[in-house]
Amino acid sequence: MNRGWMNRTMMMVTGMTLVLAMVLLSGCGGGNNDIQDDPTAGMDTGTQVEDLPPPPVAEDTTDQIPATPDYESMDPSDYGVDDVFFDFDQYELDNEAMGILSSNARAMREAGTVILISGHCDERGTLEYNLALGEKRANAVRDYLVSLGVPKSRLRVTSYGENRPFSRGSSDHAWAQNRRAHFERP
Amino acid sequence: MMHRRTVSFLSVVCLLLLATSVSWAQNSEFEIIHTGSAFIKTDVEVNALDVLSGGEASVQASDMLTRIIGNDLILSGMFRIEANAGDSDSLSFEYTVEGTVEGPLRDAAQTGETAPTTISLNLLTWPGRQLLLNKRYRPLPSQLRSTGHHFANEVINALTGERGIAMTRVVFSRSSGEGSDLYAVDYDGEGLLRLTANRVLNLCPNWSPDGSEIAFTSYRDHQQGLFILDTSNGKVRAVTSQEGLNFGADWHPDGKELLVSMSRAGNPEIYRITPEGKVIKRLTVSNAIEISPSWAPGGRDLVFTSDRTGTPQLYIIDSDGAGRRRLTFEGRYNDSAVWSPGGDKIAYATREKNTTQIVVMKSTGEDRRVITDSRWRNCEDPSWAPDGRHLVFASDRSGVFKLYVYDDEEGTFRQLTFGDDPDISPAWSN
Repeated sequence: MNRGWMNRTMMMVTGMTLVLAMVLLSGCGGGNNDIQDDPTAGMDTGTQVEDLPPPPVAEDTTDQIPATPDYESMDPSDYGVDDVFFDFDQYELDNEAMGILSSNARAMREAGTVILISGHCDERGTLEYNLALGEKRANAVRDYLVSLGVPKSRLRVTSYGENRPFSRGSSDHAWAQNRRAHFERP
Repeated sequence: MMHRRTVSFLSVVCLLLLATSVSWAQNSEFEIIHTGSAFIKTDVEVNALDVLSGGEASVQASDMLTRIIGNDLILSGMFRIEANAGDSDSLSFEYTVEGTVEGPLRDAAQTGETAPTTISLNLLTWPGRQLLLNKRYRPLPSQLRSTGHHFANEVINALTGERGIAMTRVVFSRSSGEGSDLYAVDYDGEGLLRLTANRVLNLCPNWSPDGSEIAFTSYRDHQQGLFILDTSNGKVRAVTSQEGLNFGADWHPDGKELLVSMSRAGNPEIYRITPEGKVIKRLTVSNAIEISPSWAPGGRDLVFTSDRTGTPQLYIIDSDGAGRRRLTFEGRYNDSAVWSPGGDKIAYATREKNTTQIVVMKSTGEDRRVITDSRWRNCEDPSWAPDGRHLVFASDRSGVFKLYVYDDEEGTFRQLTFGDDPDISPAWSN
């Protein structure tokens, strides 16, 4: 009873193996990398039929290729674009900020999406001057990114001044958190 | 909300027309007395109004009107009030306010509200009882407060020659979560009205000279732009939203153009623009931050902030951008200057140590006085009342920014807005 089933199975596996072998032989130099890279493929053809893995199917091969990230729908922080911070009343970039921006520039060139740079300030000082200072910070970041090869057309700039704090409170820590250029999807 | 706003603004107009049309001629023989010094106050008695008809609603109207009129006279800073001094002749008041309230009730069936038909208000000398003013009003229920404010202004004008501020309002920005909305409040803290509800930042509002429009700064799709709100119908229109900042609008006294700071050329510069957004003239050219313009009352000069020396300081130029001169040399951070309606004073914000404080000085730069201290924590965005005596500003002395009114004659303060949400960027109407 089982024997007939086993025989059929053996025949099917043998047949499929032969087909696989033909595919491999005919596909030399331009075929499916996944099959060629399979350490068990292409050897012992026809001798150890019972040990062969099932043939790859289309769905499996696409799953093994890493998907291109959908940068358009991701926050820049998800693909390695990090905020940079500023000293009190300053909009010049320090070494730490320039280091972060170099890394950001690589990620931005890879992603190729439009990014909004928003400039922010701590609560000290006036609303008006902080709007202007926030813009100076965002512009300084944009200019540096452009100098690192990020197309200017992909960078938008705005300033929220002191009006969108990341950290509430009036401590040195909160203030330092709020003096930043932030990257987001426009 | 929008409907209520429309009614409110229109009703004020109706009330004014009504009051003008029914007001009686003033006694031309009366000699106007100017009190002059702030510390000599005129004593006025404010009597409960006689209720001729209308029942309980008229009694309540009488109470409200006498309270509002008395409060307005006190808030002007020029009067002391004696309420219902009655027959006592030992009191030293010089003038008395009295009047009548008549029913029957109006609009009760339609609105559920009740109000008297006719209110008559009189100002007389005391003890001579010479009639100085008689005003008759026929207000809707929603106009009772305005009726009291209107008569208070008439009294102030008759006795001092000054224009009262009892019908003025303050517009400001109130934060809520990620956005901030514009609100207007009567100068006495009553009648709070929300003007925007769009879940974005709405900042730096400023009244047109006739109060019909409010220019303000907001964001659309992260782009800052200048907008104008029509106070008669609540409609908002875009003025300009070119790349960069578009903020800090101040209306020219003729209402036909605005000063604004825009960074379309790369960094913030001062421009004169039309209310439609067309540039009339660019007034500054530099790589520095140039912001916070404020017209002098005549519209010939303006004061603004520039950090061209490395720190933000106040400068004056004329309306062609010429004649630049530096106004502040004290303090390393001066901004948000506003010229007083009389032209004699300038108020601004200065940073002292780690806090921001309010300064009032002569527009020549002399007589600099820091009117707040560290007890007030941070104080920002001063704006003058049209009387040139009162100044509204925002302070976080309570832990959250609220609005306060300063009396520059007496050196006293009162709180204007309350609640847990931060209130900033106040601007006083004319």
